[in-house]
Amino acid sequence: VVLCCFEGERWLPALLASIADQTLLPDELVVCDDGSTDRSVAIVERFAETAPFTVRIERNPERLGSTRNFAHGLSLAHGRVVALADQDDVWYPGKLAVMAWEFEQDPTISMVFSDADLMDSSGTPLGRKLWDTRLVGRTLRRHAVVPEDLFARRALTTGCTMAFRRRVVDAALPFPEELDDPWAPMRHDRWLSLVAAAVGTVRAIEEPLLAFRVHPNQETGVLVGSQLHRALARAATRVGRHSNKHEHAGRAAQLRAAAQRADLVGDFREAATLRTVADHQAARAAIGEGNQRASDVVRAALAGAYRGDPLSPLAVGADLVRSVLPAVDAPQEPAP
Amino acid sequence: VTLDRIDVMVVVDALAMGGAEQVAVDHANTFDRRTHRVHVLATRDGGPLVDRLADDVSLTILGRSATWDLRGLARFARIVRRSGIDVIHSHGRGAMKFVALARGLGLITPRHVFHDHFGWLHLDRGAGVALRAAMRLGVDAYLGVDARLCSWACTTAGMPPERTFLCRSGVDASRFARAQPLPLRSELAIRDDQLVIAMIANLRHPKDHPTLLRALAEIAPELRDRVKVVIVGALGVDPAYEAGCRAMIERLGLADQVVLYGPSADPPALLAAADAAVLSSKNETGPLVVLEYMAAGLPFIATDTGELSHAVRDLGVGFVPPPRDHLALAAALTELISMSDDERRAMGDRGRQVVLDTFDQPIVTRQIEEVYELVLGLRDRTDGLRSQRDGGSRIIARPAVR
Repeated sequence: VVLCCFEGERWLPALLASIADQTLLPDELVVCDDGSTDRSVAIVERFAETAPFTVRIERNPERLGSTRNFAHGLSLAHGRVVALADQDDVWYPGKLAVMAWEFEQDPTISMVFSDADLMDSSGTPLGRKLWDTRLVGRTLRRHAVVPEDLFARRALTTGCTMAFRRRVVDAALPFPEELDDPWAPMRHDRWLSLVAAAVGTVRAIEEPLLAFRVHPNQETGVLVGSQLHRALARAATRVGRHSNKHEHAGRAAQLRAAAQRADLVGDFREAATLRTVADHQAARAAIGEGNQRASDVVRAALAGAYRGDPLSPLAVGADLVRSVLPAVDAPQEPAP
Repeated sequence: VTLDRIDVMVVVDALAMGGAEQVAVDHANTFDRRTHRVHVLATRDGGPLVDRLADDVSLTILGRSATWDLRGLARFARIVRRSGIDVIHSHGRGAMKFVALARGLGLITPRHVFHDHFGWLHLDRGAGVALRAAMRLGVDAYLGVDARLCSWACTTAGMPPERTFLCRSGVDASRFARAQPLPLRSELAIRDDQLVIAMIANLRHPKDHPTLLRALAEIAPELRDRVKVVIVGALGVDPAYEAGCRAMIERLGLADQVVLYGPSADPPALLAAADAAVLSSKNETGPLVVLEYMAAGLPFIATDTGELSHAVRDLGVGFVPPPRDHLALAAALTELISMSDDERRAMGDRGRQVVLDTFDQPIVTRQIEEVYELVLGLRDRTDGLRSQRDGGSRIIARPAVR
């Protein structure tokens, strides 16, 4: 298990206790602290004294951010199967056992991930599921084995719900520079999913295997209630903005980087799928520059290039607007 | 119920070259003729396997054009009734649905045994409404070539465990015993001190040749120089994949170690010319070729996917590394190459004996005949079917979450 933490003293005890309570214990827990100034490290050190498995604690000399911190943690893990943990969740006792069982059932599975129950910052269940709040529930319940191109089209997974085989780690590391694109940063979990789907099959477990804490300070945005509506409204206002071009170009570069990793291990068909989606992203980046017209957008939509996302009608609309109107905002630097 | 002789109709979509079709033909040829009369019906086309059918097997090519070809269905029903068929044994889901539809419409009444060879369970674990309905209403017994299929049949498709049977494939060992080796060494200019390692697998992505190539690149150069890997199988079926493999051979500097031989009309003769064999598939439900390696008396490396690799992995007849793991495959190759000739020969002999004892086609076909007797009411479930133990009872429960 790889756990990355930062200023997590409030949540860590519950998470660590839930890992120690697993019906199938991990062989090791690699904890990478990203420069916490609170008691996070002390809590993990105390846990390590009595933990029924090896606990390795790493303190980063300088802040890496969660994505690079997870890359560092993965490089230190030894397991044939690696699961990711976030500091603020609580795992159900059977989480690792169920995931290991799934891997045992089918050697082609490279990654499994599950749904999660949402709870608030005090641990009270919110009665909602993670997949639904990220608008992926319908898709994933229809596809227990997730088609590889879906991962190329949208973010489906959350790191703390994932476990993968060693070959995914080997193919994913080192994380490519393209993930740090300022216009379209890609988090570790999406990169790992992309690679996992390229080098094997990915299984979505419908049953929640953990309680996922929703609180204002978390990095993985979960939108509930009015937050979700506001985010959709914000997305709608971005129609026709110049920044879209950079986002699509950045995404295309990331998909090509994943295709390169797939090629290296001989997954040529999967690499070709990734390149097809990358080409679509590159075409979207070129909209408004004279060589991509409204008719091209319509043609791509009819050919299914936008499929796989419940918001795809919005994307088609945005691209149509951009193809006929000049960008409403001036080119600008991305936010830091 | 008593029957002097059981009239069996083996139903396949076509008799083209393929694992499922080969199994269907092997069964048809080896049913006990004292107790069975054998008919083969291809619902769509014939194919090269027609020539491998025994002379006493009656063959019908129906030539149906679509899944719901009603005229073909009516003709099929007429043939079944006219031939007095007692048991229909369908191979493949397309053929099964065709037979189940005929049964569901009341056009035919024989018992129906469905032999499932589906190889894409890792990508599609669903069971659509039509498939579930066909299996529930039109199938009396389910034979899965892989334990995962049996588990799927019970848990997803709703097949009762007591009518679900694991049915491992068999191989006609006599074909390999009498094979004359091809002059492979002279044809490919292979040195006398080099081991010939054959891999029979079309150049298609499920066979995962890249993992084998990466494994070869990992082993020590002096060991690598001692082998010639001869990849036997159809070329040009997946041009992009083939181009990728060829580029990988160049990139990894394996041009002297790997030969893309193309298809072979006589696999037993080719295997007779090899010293060992390998299969690097990422996903299989058989794979039949492992039995062929063993029948040819070759020590082998086969990735741990599929029922047969699973069945023989602890018998000391070969190496069974996990699929998609080039380092584990490299370790197995290293061990195989480092063995003495005598050790390799002994391993191959053990494999051949396992085939003769367990997987020789007549033995496997007897197990199928037992299932027929069960669905016809000639035998009680408690009689101790050899195949029964490993069918629906092999479902392994998932651990609890909380």
